[in-house]
Amino acid sequence: MPHWDDKLPIYQQLADHLAARLLDGQPADGEPMPSVRALASQHLLNPLTVNRALQALVDEGLLEAHRGVGMYVKTGARERLKASERQRFLQDEWPRLRERLRRLEIGAEQLSWEDQ
Amino acid sequence: MNTPLVSAKGLTVRYGRKRAVDDVSFTIPKGRVVGLLGHNGAGKTSLMKALVGLAPCDGELSVLGLSPRRERVQMLESLCYIPDVAILPRWARVDQLITLMQGLHPRFSAARAEALLQRTSVSLSHKVKALSKGMVVQLHLALIAAIDAQVMVLDEPTLGLDVLSRKSFYEMLIDEWCDGERSVLISTHQVEEIESLLSDVLMLNEGKLVLSISLEEMDRRFVALSHDPTEADAMAAAHPLLRYRTQGGTAALFDGPPPADVQARGTRVRPSLVDLFVALTRAPEINRTQF
Repeated sequence: MPHWDDKLPIYQQLADHLAARLLDGQPADGEPMPSVRALASQHLLNPLTVNRALQALVDEGLLEAHRGVGMYVKTGARERLKASERQRFLQDEWPRLRERLRRLEIGAEQLSWEDQ
Repeated sequence: MNTPLVSAKGLTVRYGRKRAVDDVSFTIPKGRVVGLLGHNGAGKTSLMKALVGLAPCDGELSVLGLSPRRERVQMLESLCYIPDVAILPRWARVDQLITLMQGLHPRFSAARAEALLQRTSVSLSHKVKALSKGMVVQLHLALIAAIDAQVMVLDEPTLGLDVLSRKSFYEMLIDEWCDGERSVLISTHQVEEIESLLSDVLMLNEGKLVLSISLEEMDRRFVALSHDPTEADAMAAAHPLLRYRTQGGTAALFDGPPPADVQARGTRVRPSLVDLFVALTRAPEINRTQF
């Protein structure tokens, strides 16, 4: 059974999950999103919840509804998403990470950028 | 246009002097997946029996604009039902059951049933007695979902099934039944795993309806605050419906937002249906005065 955590409403968790996929180019700009029914069945969610998640992504300017055919990824969605995720990382995550690195006394020269 | 598929007002089902369902009012619009929750003996099965015309009841009850008792035959053309005691004859073959259904129900489609069964590992030549419990329930759902109906009533359909069978059952229900027009009323004890499937919930406690709400509204109305153990006294003083443990520590559940100073002492988290169920059904004498 799929597991949703208890921090955010389920539709928000699905919206976050779909946004993370968009960041990986799935689907790419201009491509159609999977249908509401496909998403509902894949995640065992009520179709209304799926609709709310998609609507949240429309409100964020990532998707647009094409009348009668469904949701499409808006042109430039991936770039905008990347920009806002970068912003979020630099603002929220990096200070915490920096603090932790300081406490552990890990310097930049000890951090490897190569995949292990 | 938007008349509800089911509408009940002051619905009461009596067994002798006992009121199994006591003055219950609710509606089910189209395109909903409604969970009917309650402990054993709370009145779930009695309520469902009244809806399908199997139990005499008082109050106003309309299903698809019809009276389940007086216009039962007509109503059953657009309603399908799996009772909690459902069985399929063990000696029958699947193709025989399809033929039987064709003769029994004017809106049953054999082609649709066969298409639904292709999703499963049940084949037309199987006998019921050769099928596992999970396969029998899938077969039953396929037979019922092949009826071109508007309302489906399922009384604990996944009872006794393992997790994979339950998942396949829910997948078929979402994929093949929920089209935004038809509705389903489903009772279960597996509150946690069905939560994400539901659009609405009806909660029964000792025959009384203690909650009738959409999940969307539930997120707004009920406030769960995750908090540090040191804030426990302040939380308790604000009279939460329930205090419970979470992955990260302790949480308190409130009906409506608690005072701002109390809210500031915790972090808002998603109230889960199971916590709400526990809160509203464990102390009936308190709930009666609250709802």
